[in-house]
Amino acid sequence: MKANKNISRLKRARIISQTVFLLIFFFFLMQTEYHGRDIIAYPVKIFLEIDPLILLTTFLASHTITGMLLLSLIIVGITLILGRGFCGWLCPLGTLNDAVGYFKKQKKPKEHTETRLDRYGVKAKYYILVGILIAAVFQIHFVGILDPISLTIRSFALAISPAVNYLTHGIFDFLYSANLGPLSDASDSVHEFLKLHAISFGLPTFHQGSFLGLLFLSILGLNFVRKRFWCRFLCPLGALLGLLSRFSLLNHKVNNEECNDCGLCLVTCAGGARPHQEAEWMGAECVLCMSCESVCPLQVVSYRFGKPEPEKRRTNLKRRYLIGAGATGLAALALFRLNPVRARGNALLIRPPGSVEEEEFLRRCIKCGECMKVCITNGLQPTFMQAGFEGIWSPVLVPRIGYCEFNCTLCGQVCPTDAIEQLELEEKKKRKIGLAFIDVNRCLPYAFKMNCIVCEEHCPTSPKAILFEHEMIETEEGEMELKRPVVDPEVCIGCGICETKCPTGEKAAVYISSIGEDRSEKNRLLL
Amino acid sequence: MKRRTFLKTFSAGLIGSTILDPADLLALASEPESSPLISVAKGTDPALITMEAVNALGGMSAFVSKGDIVLIKPNIGWDRTPEQAANTNPTVVATLIELAYKAGAKKVKLFDNTCNSARRCYKKSGIAEAARESGADVSFVDDKKFMKVKINGEKLKEWPVHKEALEADKIINVPIAKHHTLARLTLSMKNLMGIIGGRRNLLHQKIDTNVVDLAAFFKPTLVVLDAVRILTANGPQGGNLKDVTIMNTVAASCDQVAIDSYGATLFGMTGDSLPHVREAHTRGLGEKDLSKVRIVERTV
Repeated sequence: MKANKNISRLKRARIISQTVFLLIFFFFLMQTEYHGRDIIAYPVKIFLEIDPLILLTTFLASHTITGMLLLSLIIVGITLILGRGFCGWLCPLGTLNDAVGYFKKQKKPKEHTETRLDRYGVKAKYYILVGILIAAVFQIHFVGILDPISLTIRSFALAISPAVNYLTHGIFDFLYSANLGPLSDASDSVHEFLKLHAISFGLPTFHQGSFLGLLFLSILGLNFVRKRFWCRFLCPLGALLGLLSRFSLLNHKVNNEECNDCGLCLVTCAGGARPHQEAEWMGAECVLCMSCESVCPLQVVSYRFGKPEPEKRRTNLKRRYLIGAGATGLAALALFRLNPVRARGNALLIRPPGSVEEEEFLRRCIKCGECMKVCITNGLQPTFMQAGFEGIWSPVLVPRIGYCEFNCTLCGQVCPTDAIEQLELEEKKKRKIGLAFIDVNRCLPYAFKMNCIVCEEHCPTSPKAILFEHEMIETEEGEMELKRPVVDPEVCIGCGICETKCPTGEKAAVYISSIGEDRSEKNRLLL
Repeated sequence: MKRRTFLKTFSAGLIGSTILDPADLLALASEPESSPLISVAKGTDPALITMEAVNALGGMSAFVSKGDIVLIKPNIGWDRTPEQAANTNPTVVATLIELAYKAGAKKVKLFDNTCNSARRCYKKSGIAEAARESGADVSFVDDKKFMKVKINGEKLKEWPVHKEALEADKIINVPIAKHHTLARLTLSMKNLMGIIGGRRNLLHQKIDTNVVDLAAFFKPTLVVLDAVRILTANGPQGGNLKDVTIMNTVAASCDQVAIDSYGATLFGMTGDSLPHVREAHTRGLGEKDLSKVRIVERTV
């Protein structure tokens, strides 16, 4: 039996939908960047806001609901009626998985076997979901690590797009330095245009970028084991939507009398939902990709609205595994918090301005990387263990890499869960995120009696938070007025530009410590 | 200024300038011709006083020839608005671009190696927009454009310099007069730091010598000092309007030492109190002693 080569209208519609949403996703990712306006012009975090798993877990963990997250109720509504269409038609990670899975050689129907992975693996994502939810109840907010939207944005922001930038800048740098006359000039114009509108302006790079990139490529690579491996076996959002689809009205129909059991639908199914027999169909796994409907040579597979058929959408989860998953989530509470940082704070944990108090911050931050993507100086970096295991990949300002730009409020604008609250500019300019300290063993005027003052020159507050102690000293060239920088802790906001610009090499002679940050009651220096 | 240059400047001025009063020209001619010249124009319209200051030196055609590629170098160092007087006044910059084109420039290029994020500085200063409207080729600096060249200064032997500065036929330096804690003031010579790349923060260690090395290397064709608003404290980036004094002044000169010396007087100081001006004078880059400089003042 030959597969139907004509793509059905529904499948074509699905592919168009996926393409459009993926393009929108990339467009918004490109717009998560300073483009000459102090306010981000596009709803760049919309994919996170329509994600019901983020709404649910953030609510469980922090008991807060950010207004725009309620948009995800639209997806809940769609899922209640249609099923997991989000996964098949909209999710950018699902689309990328489909794109990679396209290159996997499809098995012939007679070679099709269901392995233990297929049978039991599909349940794994539900246990993962339960673990995440139980952990969230106990205020461990782990969802961002595995939520597909958060994961995809983080991977692109911190790894894939820096890699693309690196290659693009490299090509244009080469064209320019090759001195090809008019071609070099033209390439420069194109380069400048791309820098301002498409790729990143500079060359932002992130700690763990290579690792996060490999992790993401591995997820895509798993498509060669099973198509949509991630969606079938691991995705907690897919699991949530699968559960929500229990009473959906769009039913999978196979005309069993006409079906000749060729099995083409079975091998083409993106979700591993056994579409070849109506009674065997696993509705919670169906992502409505419409491949079965399209491929059927006899056109006996269809989707019809009708009464809910919850019995076809069972997930058959085992109670003991559910309990196990819940217990694992609970264990995370204890395990992830085994960290002295919680008690003592961390001098290097400088959170972006507008960040809420640390414990609440961890209950809200989903590690999506939006703030790091938008940071104009590249100073916001993903943490590793500075905030404990539960805070992995949350944002930390690393002033040696980049400082907090005085007139910029972008990170608060793109945070989907208000872990970084949006501040008005005037308020932001006063918000203390840390305090500068001078290392007199390295600072030129102290250590070597040489004038420098780069830190003072760049200090953006008015009056400046760096003052001078003056001393007249004798030098070989005569008398010289030595200016030694002194920090005024009342005025310093900890923006870190002094540390970024300090000329003393890899280890700055002025550095920011988190002490004095406004958001903390404990981390005080001044009365 | 050499005699021949002065004559050329002067005659071009006669032809080029219609605003200049003939009486002034006579006065100019009667001064000893070897002494440098500073023109100072005062008035509330930045465009008019910029034109007037340039015209008083003989008009832009005395400096820019037909087909020249001209680099105009304003200060765009900071993410501040024009009112905060941390960057060069955008109207002054735009006017100079227009004058350069009228004098026959083939292309006017403009950039600055900024201290805050470049995109924010270009935007907030108003300079990128004003310059583009006037037809300048405004670009951001990029590592690929810096080439290590011999500076042959006292301190700076070799340093990465922007390619477009090396390729330009003429450089017009357009600084704003500001307070600076280390150099005391930042005027024209210090503004040249925006043409170079590399680890500029190292230059502060011998800032005066380094700045003079740069001045000797670049030798701008013309310096136009923006003192429409000057920043008198908390420099070089200011932020508080209380530190801004409105002077409604633009000065121009071919002598970068003389104009910096003049700039100091706007702050109630003398060029002698600025070490880099003293050093530049000693090294023969120009005249610090304003009593030996002819200053033509005009009010528009």
